[in-house]
Amino acid sequence: MAAARRLEPHPDTPFRYGPRVDFTFEGKPLWGFAGEPLALALLAGGVKVFGRSAKYHRPRSPMCLHAHCSSCLMRVNGRPNVRTCDTPCSAGQSVERQTGWPGAGFDLLRSIDVVYPEELRHHELFTSSAALSRLASPFVRKMSGAGELPSGPPPMALPAEHTRARVVVIGAGAAGLSAARRLARAGEKAIVFEAEALPGGRLLDGATWIEDDGGGAGWQKWKSLADPAGLSGIELCCRMPVVALYPGRPPTVVAAGEERVRVVQPQRIILCNGAYDLLPLFVGNDVPGVMTVRALDRMALGHGVVPAEPVVLCGDSDEVLRLGALLAERGVELAGVVTRRREGPQLEALQEKKIPIVFDREPARARGGRWLHELELASHRKAEPDRLLDCGLCAAESPPAPAYELGHHAGCRVFFSSSGGYRIAADSSGRTSRDDIFAAGHCAGAADTAAAMAAGEQAAGACLESLAQAG
Amino acid sequence: MPKTIVCRCEDVTEEDLKRAFESGFRDLESLRRFTGFGTGFCQGKSCLCHAARFLASVKGGDDMVSDPPRTRPPLRPTPFSAFAGAAPEAESAREEKP
Amino acid sequence: MRDRADLVIVGGGVIGLSLAYHLARMGFSDVVVLEQGYLCFGASGRNGGGVRQQWSTEENILLMKDAVRRYRRLSQECGYNIWFRQGGYLFLARDDASAAALEQNTRLQNRLGVPTRLISPADARRIVPALNVEGVRVCAYNKSDGVLFPFPVVWGMARIASDLGVEINTFTRVTAIDVRGRRIVKVVTDRGAIATQRVVNAAGAWSPQVARLAGVELPNKPYRHEILVSEPIKPFLDPLVSDLSNGTYFSQTMRGEICGGLSDPAEPSSMESGSSLRFLSRMSRSLMRLIPQAGALKVLRQWAGYYDETPDGQPILGRVDAVDGFIQLNGFGGHGFMMAPAIGQLAAEWILRKREHPIFSTCDLGRFARGEQRRETFSIG
Repeated sequence: MAAARRLEPHPDTPFRYGPRVDFTFEGKPLWGFAGEPLALALLAGGVKVFGRSAKYHRPRSPMCLHAHCSSCLMRVNGRPNVRTCDTPCSAGQSVERQTGWPGAGFDLLRSIDVVYPEELRHHELFTSSAALSRLASPFVRKMSGAGELPSGPPPMALPAEHTRARVVVIGAGAAGLSAARRLARAGEKAIVFEAEALPGGRLLDGATWIEDDGGGAGWQKWKSLADPAGLSGIELCCRMPVVALYPGRPPTVVAAGEERVRVVQPQRIILCNGAYDLLPLFVGNDVPGVMTVRALDRMALGHGVVPAEPVVLCGDSDEVLRLGALLAERGVELAGVVTRRREGPQLEALQEKKIPIVFDREPARARGGRWLHELELASHRKAEPDRLLDCGLCAAESPPAPAYELGHHAGCRVFFSSSGGYRIAADSSGRTSRDDIFAAGHCAGAADTAAAMAAGEQAAGACLESLAQAG
Repeated sequence: MPKTIVCRCEDVTEEDLKRAFESGFRDLESLRRFTGFGTGFCQGKSCLCHAARFLASVKGGDDMVSDPPRTRPPLRPTPFSAFAGAAPEAESAREEKP
Repeated sequence: MRDRADLVIVGGGVIGLSLAYHLARMGFSDVVVLEQGYLCFGASGRNGGGVRQQWSTEENILLMKDAVRRYRRLSQECGYNIWFRQGGYLFLARDDASAAALEQNTRLQNRLGVPTRLISPADARRIVPALNVEGVRVCAYNKSDGVLFPFPVVWGMARIASDLGVEINTFTRVTAIDVRGRRIVKVVTDRGAIATQRVVNAAGAWSPQVARLAGVELPNKPYRHEILVSEPIKPFLDPLVSDLSNGTYFSQTMRGEICGGLSDPAEPSSMESGSSLRFLSRMSRSLMRLIPQAGALKVLRQWAGYYDETPDGQPILGRVDAVDGFIQLNGFGGHGFMMAPAIGQLAAEWILRKREHPIFSTCDLGRFARGEQRRETFSIG
């Protein structure tokens, strides 16, 4: 049976897509809605194993759904290693898996994982005999690598547009949109580059809640923040991820879309490119069916593709608890919510809905062959597991890792903490160690989406001041 | 198969990190090269935090891992065709330093 | 850290470690190696792992024949697999001058027992079906050249040398070399001093700085060379391919990534180690011209390292006039890694007075003053 099934789209979802389209998966016909993430159409269409991992050929299936891991890669239209979570479904697409022998679904090479239950010391392979090493070399080569060389007509170089600009904002999430709106209010022009098809970032999560005057779900806030009326003079470029930020005076921003590239040299940059959601560490955390909380949110609330089997949520944030309640409202069965939280309205809402809550536990081991079927819990992940939940999906939370790379490459100082990872070091006004670069939101360590919104506005203010001073 | 995968792209486990540290690879750059974490398709987005946390815990403090590995472009895997037109030949070789 | 040693090697890259490794295997381990960063910090951790015997001078060809033999057994000697894959090197010439160079070099290589063949562009396509050979005049192919994975070479040699008693200190900078008259007295580092009368300068791009500490001027100049790697795909490329018209080189690693770079005549000498859009763009264009399907392959990462260049393209080996016991083992340009096992063996024999190979006289620092420059023309990257 499929890992996921489809619901009617949520009435408030910001995601829109087109009519039903047909595509082929390994020669078999499947369907999806034009524009929805291909990965979700595949899950809803019954695909469980998307690929195999590099060394042990462990099965892989979408984990982050936000284009920062490598768990959903497939060959699409003759191109290898395509992130299906970041690929809009379209008519006639040809989709196939790439790894494994004879195939990703059933891979004999998984035996390596069994033969080496603890570790395979790959540096010490075949060192006993030079002849054996040379003999094994072609096989090792064939087993490595993921996709094949691209097929089809060789592509041309993408047209590149070179411009200067006053301000570039990188990322149109809560922080980036707030910054852009502040700039717009001041009559300042700016280019905003956003990797996803829609602006919003964490505001696109159904479980986001912004506690400010009125208070409201992220989706409500998204409508007002993304309203073009508040962004006049701002050039918002979606599906144009910034792929490089080169140091220099002025710095060089390279944004690469599917069909064109922008190379911009701005006077000021506001970095709002967010953070990567991670899984916590526990045995089997890579089993298909284990994903991040935001991945489940995007899939189930955003796009109406929900797990077919009961779900376990693990985490302590308001978002995790809220997600549980929202999923239950949509008719998704929850096998349990595993949390160390003890109180709060979100917890009460779960209890009202009679959703099983497991207190003071965390995931210790996920079990499943090609898909998750049970989760062991323990008081601490290294302790003996003492609870077991049968489930077909586990969404587990871990502090996100700020996307510090662009700022770091441009010369901004970063700060490390075990709890928060590496983040761009920025003061309360978003100033970094570079006087022409500002940082706001999760990339600078914002605690939550509301904080990111406020930080974006502050950083834009500081940026405007800086431009005014420069004359 | 009790593996705890830290780096999904290269199948680097917690045990791999521990053993590499014991073998003398005690800074992030060396740990990265020896275990392979962070060298795969996602270039560390899903695993650097975990590896840095591990190193901080075995070396006795966050200040022991204050520098991340050298950041290099591109931020995400991007086709050669995207870069081919990005810098006309006539540009000078040296980017100005900040 | 030891406070005295018979020999101090400044530079824990492949050259310094190869020397330490060979000395230790010959029973001489009263050696301290000083490396400013982590192992694989310098060029030794940044190169593409190419190993070729296709050179333009007799001495380099013979040196590389020896190096290839040694690399073939290094995995077994050190216990780390260096994945030396002899898939060949394929050079492409587009004009009269480079075609003539290929012809001349091939004849010399053949005379010295290296089986390089001149082949047609059509034959080159048989070896690399994905290659676009439009505009290529003639090619040279030697199937016993190849590529290896550099890191385990460094780790392996360090591990064995260390097991045999050599002390290797990472994250240790040399701050002074104490010379009294003509004799070295000690080496001072940021972690203490080592009394010694013999210092080997194997510091790659930092060699001139180290030499200056001993009062010696080297003519070496550092040049940034950039390199990139693509996403890993299944094997489609056996040899390393090099286009002589612009110094492009690329090969496929054991993991399946395309790894390579190209020359930049506009790059000035510097210690700049950042990455540039200019390189990424030029390399993308060159790769797409040679492997048209590569346009849809994705770049994973770009980085840079230094070529430690000399005025004549040959390394600086051996003694210097002004200071006794100050031994040079630097200036290897873009080919130090491939020569390392051979150089390490020869230098160890020379230092232990077992054999003095002619290169320690012909490639010494004094050759420039004597007007006896060597001339290796066949460099790439």
